[in-house]
Amino acid sequence: MDSWNGILQGFSVALDPTNLLYVFLGVLIGTVIGVLPGLGPTATIALLLPITYTVEPVTAVILLAGIYYGSMYGGTITSVLLRLPGEAASVVTTFDGYQMAKQGRAGPALGIAAVGSFIGGTVSVVGMVLLAPPLADLAVSFGPPEYVALTVLGILLVTYLGTGSVLKSLSMAAVGLLLATIGLDPITGTARFTFGEVSLFNGLDFVAVAMGLFGVGEILHSLERTEKVQAVTSKIKGIWPTRKDFRDSAGAIGRGSVLGFAIGVLPGGGGVVSSLASYAMEKRRAKDPSRFGKGAIEGVAGPETANNASSTSAFIPLLTLGIPPNVVLALIFGALLVQDITPGPQLIEQQPEIFWGVIASMVIGNLMLLALNIPLVGVFVQMLRVRAGILAAFALLVTMAGVFSVNNNVFDMWVVLGFGVIGWLMKKTGFEPGPLVLAFVLGSILERAFRQSMLISGGSFDIFVTRPISGGMFAFMALIIIVSAITSRRRKAVFGRVDPADVDETDEPGPDADRQVTAEGSPGADSTTDTPSSTTPGER
Amino acid sequence: MTARRTLAVLLLAGTALTGCGGGGGGSAEAPEEYPTDDIELLVPYTAGGPTDIAARALAAHMEGELGQTVVVTNAPGASGATAYQQLIAADADGHTLSMTALPTAVLNYLSNEVGYTREDFAPVGVVTQVPSGIVVPADSPYESLEDLFDAARADPQAVTVGTPGATNTHAAETRRITQLYDVPLTVVPFNGNAEVQTALLGGNVTAGFANLSQDILPAIESGDLRVLAVGSPEPLPYLDAPTFVELGYPELVQSTTTFGVIAPAGTPEEVVQTLEDTLRSAAEEPGVVGALDERYVPAEFIGADGLGELFAETEETFRDVLAD
Repeated sequence: MDSWNGILQGFSVALDPTNLLYVFLGVLIGTVIGVLPGLGPTATIALLLPITYTVEPVTAVILLAGIYYGSMYGGTITSVLLRLPGEAASVVTTFDGYQMAKQGRAGPALGIAAVGSFIGGTVSVVGMVLLAPPLADLAVSFGPPEYVALTVLGILLVTYLGTGSVLKSLSMAAVGLLLATIGLDPITGTARFTFGEVSLFNGLDFVAVAMGLFGVGEILHSLERTEKVQAVTSKIKGIWPTRKDFRDSAGAIGRGSVLGFAIGVLPGGGGVVSSLASYAMEKRRAKDPSRFGKGAIEGVAGPETANNASSTSAFIPLLTLGIPPNVVLALIFGALLVQDITPGPQLIEQQPEIFWGVIASMVIGNLMLLALNIPLVGVFVQMLRVRAGILAAFALLVTMAGVFSVNNNVFDMWVVLGFGVIGWLMKKTGFEPGPLVLAFVLGSILERAFRQSMLISGGSFDIFVTRPISGGMFAFMALIIIVSAITSRRRKAVFGRVDPADVDETDEPGPDADRQVTAEGSPGADSTTDTPSSTTPGER
Repeated sequence: MTARRTLAVLLLAGTALTGCGGGGGGSAEAPEEYPTDDIELLVPYTAGGPTDIAARALAAHMEGELGQTVVVTNAPGASGATAYQQLIAADADGHTLSMTALPTAVLNYLSNEVGYTREDFAPVGVVTQVPSGIVVPADSPYESLEDLFDAARADPQAVTVGTPGATNTHAAETRRITQLYDVPLTVVPFNGNAEVQTALLGGNVTAGFANLSQDILPAIESGDLRVLAVGSPEPLPYLDAPTFVELGYPELVQSTTTFGVIAPAGTPEEVVQTLEDTLRSAAEEPGVVGALDERYVPAEFIGADGLGELFAETEETFRDVLAD
């Protein structure tokens, strides 16, 4: 009954006119940036973080969550119509979605994606209502050793599940951990690596680092690209999928919902991993796998459902454990910290309006998206005409003003610019900022928890294995490393990168279905986070 | 701008006069002239926190009393050093003030080079005082402070004490217990009161030494947490728990957090006087007291001198603890 009261309270929060407006703004902005290549949800949320400072905490999270799952919808549109994934999680949608569009079935492709996303989002919300409160109860007993296990698991999974080079991901995670040591020692209070600069005493500001790496880095990178997107002329007819389409995709949507939900909860999961996993699963289950890549509707329905389901369930670890499972959630974590709220096991009890309000807003937001997307597809596509330079100038201005407003500190503006340049260089050299930022956030939690564990145990490492939950998690991690080492060959074949040229080849009839998804490809084509900027297929 | 500069000159002249002449006409005029411009009240912590809420309640009252806009600016970071550096870089004319939290403000410069000491401040007055105490979870085997300390003496590894931070009063005060009374306690610093509370409820630390602030009181009232001792010199009317003093630890009265207002050193005395009067009237205004939480507003107002003494006393107490 508690959950029921919670839901009622949630709706009373979410239906507040201000919050309704922010849900709408969130999903609208999300859809728009999902459509625009180059500005993914991570960059957008990073840029908008300081603005959320002026509104109520629950409103801030509602807005940012809306952007996140809204972008999952928006990214589909360009993937289907232009084979241009607006954000990374939609890369797989290009495989079959674009083929469907070529066959004149763009409408049903978009329709089934919207319906699937809606169902996936809703299933995930229900799962969250059922799972989060008991998880939070369990999490109260989590002590420092469990937090060590959780953060290590998060860093491990973000580097392993990432689709880029594991070595590059690991090295970025290491840099993130090192950056996290700047500032006052959490146990002794001694200043480290501050060079006498008082602004560094609390460490580098997370918001500034994230805005630099994702926001400014992305802006600089997008200015380098000169290619234009061709205007879409063909009209989209018959959005609503046929009865047969529904029959064909029902299984994919069901499986995608569950799979997406499960992957979203895992640290390092979310977006792109869930859609790739769902695609792989549908293909494996299909009676005739060769249809995939040639316009199989399940290949659109499954991944689109999964990515939306995972973007919702990713809130569970953040709101119950205080551990952000992926970069977007790390940014939302940052938004809550700015508001002086530390997410953790007691959030549901102490700030129920945030937890339940956000859940209720997701139900409303998903309905809004369904209503927005189907009739307005054409309008959103027109936005691709906005010139990158104009967008970039605005974005930079907002960034600099925004980051100053968080701490009223000029130093943070330099941090943004510094990390902006670093982020741009990383992009050019194929290093992902995702593992760096996540390790940076988790690093301070990890260090504190590790040293607390050592204090509690009197310096003995036994504490990590003798406690059932942390011991279990470390065993699980060992298993992941072993399994992934064994199956790395197979994994590459399924989770591999997408080379636009290969997708083209699927136009020709060919029995070799595996060729659509190959292990080589353009760098950054499917970063775990966002930024499909370098993936504008066929435009190089 | 010109007006402001002129005023500064006037005020300087005024202080010079009073300094030489010993209270002539100049000092009587100055309070009427101040303030001539907006007043900026710096908050060394993030918006939405207890210090920020107190500052905003205070600012609203000051506007009514002084007839000028009071702008609250959050300058969080470095345990307050960011805000204090801004404060001491500003003109010492009473138009830039800062909230402060003791003993953190003192511990901060005792343990690190942060660009200020208490000599750089002109204390104005105390706003609230939040007491601290040693708490244990409801199912803890320790029924009294003596039980807890006996267990620690019997096994030096046995008792871990969670504190809301590494450099704040609670960690320092816990180390003083070990130093002064030879009770081996392991300090486990957490990030804020809420994390200490979670660790206590999850049974991950034996006890906690935490602020008895609004966020932890509900858990105490519901019985999830028990208070073994409070660090205030006198028993608290709203909590049924003995003080350290009553239990035979007369030195343990330094854990209370004092929130006050400070100005840059060199601020004219008349200006400080005006501000002190404003704070005093705030402490008597039911609306302001309600916003500050009446449990934390000192029964007797503590002004500039009292806050100054508190700064000196805190420095004295903790200098030796941090030395080793």
